Amino acid sequence: MSSRPEPGAFRRLLAPLLGVLLLATPALAQVKPAPAAAELTSEQKLVLGERMYRQGILPSGEPMSSIVSGDVQVAGTSFSCVSCHLRGGLGSWEGGIVTLPTNAARLSIPRYWKFPNLSLEERKELKLQNPPARPAYTDATLAHLIRTGRDPGGTDMHPVMPRYYLSDPDMAILLHYLANLSARHSPGVIGDTLHFATVITPEVSVDDQQAMLVPINNYVKRHNQFSAGFGNRMYLGVGGNEMSGAYRKMALSVWRLQGAPDTWGRQLEAFLAKDPVFAMLGGISYGDWKPVHDFCERSQLPCLFPITDLPAVSDTDWYTQYFSKGYYQEGQAAARYLNGLDNPAAARKVLQLVQDTPQGRALAQGFREAWAELGQPPIKELPLPREGALDASGLAAILDQEKPSTVLLWTGDSIYPALDALLRKGPTPVNGFLSARLLGAQVTSLPEQVRAHVWITYPYREPHLEPKFSAYADTLLAGLTKRHPETRVSTRTYAMVQVLRQALMDMDRHFYRDNLLDRIGMQRDQILPDYLRLSFGPGQRYASKGCYIMQVGPGATPVLVRKSEWVIH
Amino acid sequence: MRRISMALGMTAVVLSAQAPPPYTRTLETYTVPDLVLVNQDGAKVKLKGLLDSGEPIILDFIFGTCTTICPVLSAGYANLQAKLPPGGPKIHLVSISIDPENDTPKVMRDYLKRYRAKPGWDFFTGRREDIDKVMNAFNAYIPNKMSHYPLTLIRDPKTGKWIRIFGLMSSSEFMAECKKAGLL
Repeated sequence: MSSRPEPGAFRRLLAPLLGVLLLATPALAQVKPAPAAAELTSEQKLVLGERMYRQGILPSGEPMSSIVSGDVQVAGTSFSCVSCHLRGGLGSWEGGIVTLPTNAARLSIPRYWKFPNLSLEERKELKLQNPPARPAYTDATLAHLIRTGRDPGGTDMHPVMPRYYLSDPDMAILLHYLANLSARHSPGVIGDTLHFATVITPEVSVDDQQAMLVPINNYVKRHNQFSAGFGNRMYLGVGGNEMSGAYRKMALSVWRLQGAPDTWGRQLEAFLAKDPVFAMLGGISYGDWKPVHDFCERSQLPCLFPITDLPAVSDTDWYTQYFSKGYYQEGQAAARYLNGLDNPAAARKVLQLVQDTPQGRALAQGFREAWAELGQPPIKELPLPREGALDASGLAAILDQEKPSTVLLWTGDSIYPALDALLRKGPTPVNGFLSARLLGAQVTSLPEQVRAHVWITYPYREPHLEPKFSAYADTLLAGLTKRHPETRVSTRTYAMVQVLRQALMDMDRHFYRDNLLDRIGMQRDQILPDYLRLSFGPGQRYASKGCYIMQVGPGATPVLVRKSEWVIH
Repeated sequence: MRRISMALGMTAVVLSAQAPPPYTRTLETYTVPDLVLVNQDGAKVKLKGLLDSGEPIILDFIFGTCTTICPVLSAGYANLQAKLPPGGPKIHLVSISIDPENDTPKVMRDYLKRYRAKPGWDFFTGRREDIDKVMNAFNAYIPNKMSHYPLTLIRDPKTGKWIRIFGLMSSSEFMAECKKAGLL
């Protein structure tokens, strides 16, 4: 397992490192030297160390330089420590390569090949005699590992681990960061229990509250009963001890918000101060989730799969894992579908008519931004008058004036009586786009005469395929008296529970909030109710990434007919 | 029990990870599927036309948020581009996403920018069904992107055969393989 260095190995490593250094010299010469590590406060070192770990940027502002696979030069801006060790520092397992933990709690104790997760106290109690694969790191041995890839046990790390050239002051800053990375369990780990909360905003109906709370509570109850089996023989051995040592009971608080959304942040902060929790599970709102999202970012509190169609859309925020981008994603799909059509006439001139609601605005924003990203010119957007106020002549007047080839109608079924206007425009009818989510149960009531000219964004699995997937959710619905499958609240909650269950197993006994999100990021794709596929990856925060485009079929009891592949690009 | 077997499995991988075998090299014949992928600029590209064009091609399978293998493969591509002499032979570097849901053209553009990719390195995505067909065609199919493996395919421009390199190469080994294949 361990091997001594080959003669000349360090010289061979040094040569490319020197090459990197020489290449970097002219740039470095222009940069003002960073203050020595000793002159920095602990907080300053943590900020600079975090930037090294996460972004691969030295305190000087230059990229970190490293060598992988023997002689492949890498700039820190391409990838850095966080790429493999992940944000919580517990490492990853991908492509047959294990990246070992680099967090404080693990670096400060010896590492063992067998049963590596047992604590030193447990090893003593179990009378385990096997020697460690490496002793606890010191600053000197950790610096040596980072520079050469060799640990104090004499084991060479896999060549994919970068060997970094770092000056002593820069190394001291990185080591300070690692000495504080996932050093202690996160708040909400109290005794033998992991504390969670879920959030309910004031407008949510009692039925929908129950549709979310019943499956979560059933899961928590089932999870807590699991410990009753720990007296079984299989848990008495060393492996069983390691396994059961990772188990914590669960407790769930329900945080009910009141009043206006701009007060929710303060209410949530008060809840958290009084009742520290490890993460939020689900949560439900009919409105904009952003106040809760922002609270989670500020508090560095994970929130897993809230039931919302109005998530905050961000490429960089970290703490909320959503099912999808909601309405925004439907708008994106409309843009991508239209752009990809073989019939360029449909995309000749696009008009958005937008109801002034959070849903309408999110749909329009999704279309606008995706359309621009596809290199298409800006389109005109007009506000729709209040619901039901636009009749066929009103819509016809807008179409006469704007002469679009496609009109996006981001409103509800109140637009139906006006849709005849789509047929009046010359030899070619105007194409319309509507959102299935916004139309709700009325989607199939679309007037028959316009069905061939109206596309519908549909963010879920095809309806005729759904029942066999949704049926799995029944396993957690005991006690739910009123069922409303059309809301998808229970089925989405079931899906959240499945991802959580796997994440708790993968998290093992490393109860750090970032690690929980890291473990979800490393999960394989999941086929669960509602969405065609939930896929994950480090930093990926919207698990379902596509949408179908449908049309309403013919007849008095029509079905939705799929007109597209799962639109993702 | 599942956890125990996982722990044992992981231990085995750790052991093998500490002492990686040298990469393996085989010569293969592949039939490129006739389908359309999308590159980092959003342009639709016929894969068959691209890979059977006769120009020197190197192909790998990666994804934008990959933790371990893809960054190293991509650093290898970046190093190769940096070492190619100006005005010298042109090698078309092709990366194909195995996470098409997430790898949109924008994600792919950002990825290439991170690696300071020069013209001649293209990143492709597509429909999941098509990506699966491409992976199958190159005997590289994996059902779960997290369990993918390091694979580099070099097309011999004279014979049209593919040199299949399983494992990670150093920069000098990569250059040597390109020379051996007649690309340099």
